[in-house]
Amino acid sequence: MAYLTINGVGKTFGSQHWAVRDFNLEIERGELVSFLGPSGCGKTTTLRMVAGFETPTTGTIVVDGEDITNQPPNQRNVGMVFQSYALFPNMTVADNVGFGMMVAHKPKDEIQKRVSELLDIIHMAGFGNRFPHQLSGGQQQRVALARALALSPRVLLLDEPLSALDAKIRVSLRAEIRSIQQQLGITAIYVTHDQEEALSLSDRVVVMNAGRMEQVGAPFEIYNFPTTEFVAQFVGTLNTVSADVVDPKEGILRLEGQQIQTLESLDGVKANDKVLTAIRPERISFLADGEKANLMEGVIQSITFLGSIVRIQFQVGNAEFHMDTFNNPQLDLPKIGDKVQVTFSRRAVLVLTSGGTA
Amino acid sequence: MRKFNVWAWFIFLVGVLYFFIPLFSVFEFSMRMLKGRYTFEAYRVAFSDPAFYEHFGFSLLWAAITLVVSLLLVVPTAYWVHWRLPKIRPAVEFVTLMPFVVPAVVLVFGLIRLYGSPPLTLTTTPILLIAGYVVLSLPYMYRAVDTGLRAIDVRTLTEAALSMGAGWGTILGRVIFPNLRTAILSGVFLTFAIVMGEFTFASLLVWPAFGPYMEEIGAMRAYTPQALSVVSFLLTWASIGLLQWVGRGTAAESQVAGAR
Ligand SMILES: Nc1ncnc2c1ncn2[C@@H]1O[C@H](COP(=O)(O)OP(=O)(O)OP(=O)(O)O)[C@@H](O)[C@H]1O
Ligand SMILES: [Mg+2]
Repeated sequence: MAYLTINGVGKTFGSQHWAVRDFNLEIERGELVSFLGPSGCGKTTTLRMVAGFETPTTGTIVVDGEDITNQPPNQRNVGMVFQSYALFPNMTVADNVGFGMMVAHKPKDEIQKRVSELLDIIHMAGFGNRFPHQLSGGQQQRVALARALALSPRVLLLDEPLSALDAKIRVSLRAEIRSIQQQLGITAIYVTHDQEEALSLSDRVVVMNAGRMEQVGAPFEIYNFPTTEFVAQFVGTLNTVSADVVDPKEGILRLEGQQIQTLESLDGVKANDKVLTAIRPERISFLADGEKANLMEGVIQSITFLGSIVRIQFQVGNAEFHMDTFNNPQLDLPKIGDKVQVTFSRRAVLVLTSGGTA
Repeated sequence: MRKFNVWAWFIFLVGVLYFFIPLFSVFEFSMRMLKGRYTFEAYRVAFSDPAFYEHFGFSLLWAAITLVVSLLLVVPTAYWVHWRLPKIRPAVEFVTLMPFVVPAVVLVFGLIRLYGSPPLTLTTTPILLIAGYVVLSLPYMYRAVDTGLRAIDVRTLTEAALSMGAGWGTILGRVIFPNLRTAILSGVFLTFAIVMGEFTFASLLVWPAFGPYMEEIGAMRAYTPQALSVVSFLLTWASIGLLQWVGRGTAAESQVAGAR
């Protein structure tokens, strides 16, 4: 049985509107699962129900065989890291980290030992006597992490812990969080609206939309095999184009007058139905000799340098596409208005379930 | 730029004169009790009146009790409003402003009417006086505490403490109270100043407080009341100075905490 089970959980605040609806998830011990979704989709609400700050309207939450659905938050032994750090401004770093143990009436020397151990883990050994306002944002958040870990919580909950930090620190700190989590083997839920963050540090990602789970899977699956249009659109950039079904069995579609083929046959549609297809920009490339794949002809609209990649916009019929190609000095780029042939594998063509027959 | 400075100084000077000339006159007058020379005789007389100590001591005691009651009422209430019921904050704010809307005289007559006769006769106990003082202190105390609570992220700090197993006593005592120290102190000093000089309640409920005493002396004598005014001024300033001094360490911290 899974370590943490969220079973049919839903939440309404007063009225008809469901902030979270029919949420089902099983998390294994030592796993890091992130909740990814746009603002207001219910990530924080779900997390707060696990923490005990909100009571589910429906469903149950079970940790390690114990039903904690209605347990008060201060009896759950769940660690929490907030976006705003939430360090106690009147206490030193050491007192902040030792707070939980102080509350639990642990002996002084034991607290001291554990605090210095934790400060070592977050690479802030010499900072015990500082006050929070004497630390940078990144340092404050590391202290908040140490504080949340002090009591060896059953579950560690992080609600957009890096959102208040600048890009460089965000990247280094997320790697640090991940390595500490793995090193301690702690079970964690990580809330974020940043897909790169979710994809880079999670064992599994839950993509949420409007209070519902859209898809659960490893980052690789979520990115490469989105099962709904929402996931496909939300994670990464995507070309979405509607196409006419020519031969469902062979997976042949007509897209702006050009025939393309998917890897698998299409279920539940017949010839002349309309489906929504999606292709990631980096799966498209210029035609090189000897490739046997889908071919499309288009006209170059714009070329944008994005550092390590170049994004090229082209038009096929009435549909606009983006393609990404790695930047390199030998790159022989077409000019705007040029007619080009592009290619992509059959595997690259995703036929999205929702909105497919619209 | 230079012209601006001249004007600024000019206005500052006018302000200083406006404020200090009367104060100085009072001081000067209080020194003239004995004909022909300046002495502190008026102060000696004021301080040698046993009634002074009696009334001052009485007010001091009731001020202390008022502060305790007011703090116990306001801090948990304001905290709870911030943490659980932010929606009713405007309503609570309005209630605390009552003393500005309802004059003290009206309030005290209302109290006397309601509690002056059976079944509930409270006019013979100090309960009404304390209750009245607490009401008078509300706008200052609540505002001060509310400002302090705004400067910290009450909700998140509470949740952080809860997630580490803390109970309400620990949260209020270890997390909320220490971060409100400066705010609470300013509420305390303001309340203290108001209660010490309060006249209407004490007089109409017939308690021997410092306010009515000053009034009485003022009607009967010439020099000692002036001396007492100067003394109360100095007391007020000392309080403000103390407030600044006590608050000096925490101001920076709470600002940083508030700026997040
Ligand atoms: N205390 C509350 N009272 C009423 N509605 C609430 C409350 N908390 C959240 N909601 C509503 O529930 C929905 C989900 O909110 P939630 O905070 O979980 O979103 P989120 O996914 O964390 O978004 P964000 O990325 O902006 O933090 C929103 O529509 C929000 O308005
Ligand atoms: Mg949120």
